[in-house]
Amino acid sequence: MTAAPPVIDLEALSVRFGRHQVLDDLRGAFSGRAIGLLGPNGAGKTTLLNTLLGFYKPTAGTARLFGMDITAQGRELRRQVGYMPERDAFIAGISGVRFVRLMAELSGLPPEAALERAHEVFFYVGLGEARYRNVETYSLGMKQLLKLAQAIVHGPSLLFLDEPTNGLDPPARLRMLRLIREIRDSGKANVVVSSHLLRDVEECCEEVLVLNRGRIATYCNLAEERRSNRRFLELDLGSEREGAGSSFRAAIEGLGCEVAVVNRRRIKAVLPPGIEVRHIYASAIEQDVTIRRLDYKRTSLEDIFLKAMEGDDGRL
Amino acid sequence: MAVYDHGYRGYEGSLMPARSRFLVISRYGLRDVFASRLFLAFFAFCFAWPLVLLAAMYLRYNAEALALIDVSAADLLDFFEVNTWFFQNLFLRAQLYLAFVVVLIVGPSLLSADLRNQAMPLYLSRPLTRTDYVLGKLLVLGVLVSAITWAPGLLLFAIQASLGGTEWLAEHWRVAPSMVVVSAVWTLCMSLPMLAIAAWVKWKPWARILFMGAILSGTAFGQFYKEFYDSWLGSMVVAFDVTAALSASVFGTEGNVQMPDVAAWLAAGLLVAVSAAMLYRRVRAFEVVS
Repeated sequence: MTAAPPVIDLEALSVRFGRHQVLDDLRGAFSGRAIGLLGPNGAGKTTLLNTLLGFYKPTAGTARLFGMDITAQGRELRRQVGYMPERDAFIAGISGVRFVRLMAELSGLPPEAALERAHEVFFYVGLGEARYRNVETYSLGMKQLLKLAQAIVHGPSLLFLDEPTNGLDPPARLRMLRLIREIRDSGKANVVVSSHLLRDVEECCEEVLVLNRGRIATYCNLAEERRSNRRFLELDLGSEREGAGSSFRAAIEGLGCEVAVVNRRRIKAVLPPGIEVRHIYASAIEQDVTIRRLDYKRTSLEDIFLKAMEGDDGRL
Repeated sequence: MAVYDHGYRGYEGSLMPARSRFLVISRYGLRDVFASRLFLAFFAFCFAWPLVLLAAMYLRYNAEALALIDVSAADLLDFFEVNTWFFQNLFLRAQLYLAFVVVLIVGPSLLSADLRNQAMPLYLSRPLTRTDYVLGKLLVLGVLVSAITWAPGLLLFAIQASLGGTEWLAEHWRVAPSMVVVSAVWTLCMSLPMLAIAAWVKWKPWARILFMGAILSGTAFGQFYKEFYDSWLGSMVVAFDVTAALSASVFGTEGNVQMPDVAAWLAAGLLVAVSAAMLYRRVRAFEVVS
């Protein structure tokens, strides 16, 4: 049995507009259910999405989605893709449900099925009551949900969301993120979220690709990062007994932990597989040591992002 | 994902053939066009002249009806004869003027709103090419123009053939395909520039003004050139001259425009090519600024 091809496979992908190199030799294979595209403004996030959608032709290299080449099999690919653009985009003069139905029919759904699906997605995104209103009368938040509705109406296997929370108020933003997580967790579609908002990406993505000046600055599997963070501990100790600290350190080293001493009362430890925090507490009781504070290492997406943005001289 | 089931699910049903996807755009376009009652009324008016001609043809072959309205058959026979000139000038030429108004009204509304509201990424992120999109929009104009030009023309031709008999048909058979060809070429020559201008200016009133301006300025320049240099070359930028020359070439009649057939076809071809190039430059998901 052959393994499923990666969702996105970049093969030295480069895009140049005139003299401006927008994407430069991007390589890598990504298979997460939700992939975040991060980067400062002008990093190439939207250009990467647009190139994957076939809007721009690569100047060098290529990319594959589900193993299909974006240039040679573009039409077939776009049948499986849903796209929510960053900017306002709609067809004027028609009702919301008619707009979404048109989009479904353009994706190949028969007219009756398209109408049924259009009604369903309107209720799914929470715009059911507004589906007969003209799209020009929708508020900004409603237009964002409308763009999501048209992107999912044909049941795509891959969903590209470009800045999905742009212009949304906090409740609408939470609703949008919940919908993205739901689609991700349904297992019916992989999601690619392009955003400059770290929090949004952190909340709904498993893998993160950070772009900077058209290059891949870093790639990080957030789920693995979170798991590994659980193995790094920082402990503040307290004890009346002389030498208790060093005996405690020796005890947890005996469990297989790697230990680094910050000062007399603070140590850092890396838990080996099979050793849990409760074993640390048990050693502390045995050595008559009080653990005043225990923290997991907290490498946030912000840390990862800032590190990726650092130049060779360590400056941002 | 039924309305009561607020969970996400994919679509696993059947799909329509990819090659006919552009017809969806045409279908929606036509429905939008006929949503306007004013346009519907104008479109109905476009059939008035063919109906008048149909009535005249009927009367011409019906002595009893002529007697009822106190017109002698000889008078009517003198007044008009149903021949190539009848179809080329009396019918098609008049209908093409109306078709011009249809293109002027409908053309800009097909494209400019999509481009102004940045809808192109939505279209082109689906299994639809730019050619499909343009073809879908062009077909809307094609259907409308056909409905008032060659379609009623063929009906008139068929009725006349049944009334005039095989002798008339043998003599005038070329009229039927000529009406279709002239209408099709005219539709391309008018619709593509109209759509191209609408794609560039993105605002309906301006697109109409510019289109009219291009035709009128072309006519003025062409007439001036013809008068000043005493040369048919000026006719190449006069839309009416090119149409008349093309029509004469296809119907096989003597035209009143002193312009070689090749020049008329060349002018039409150039117009279509330049318009298509302009259109393709504009109809894309995103503008690329180099």
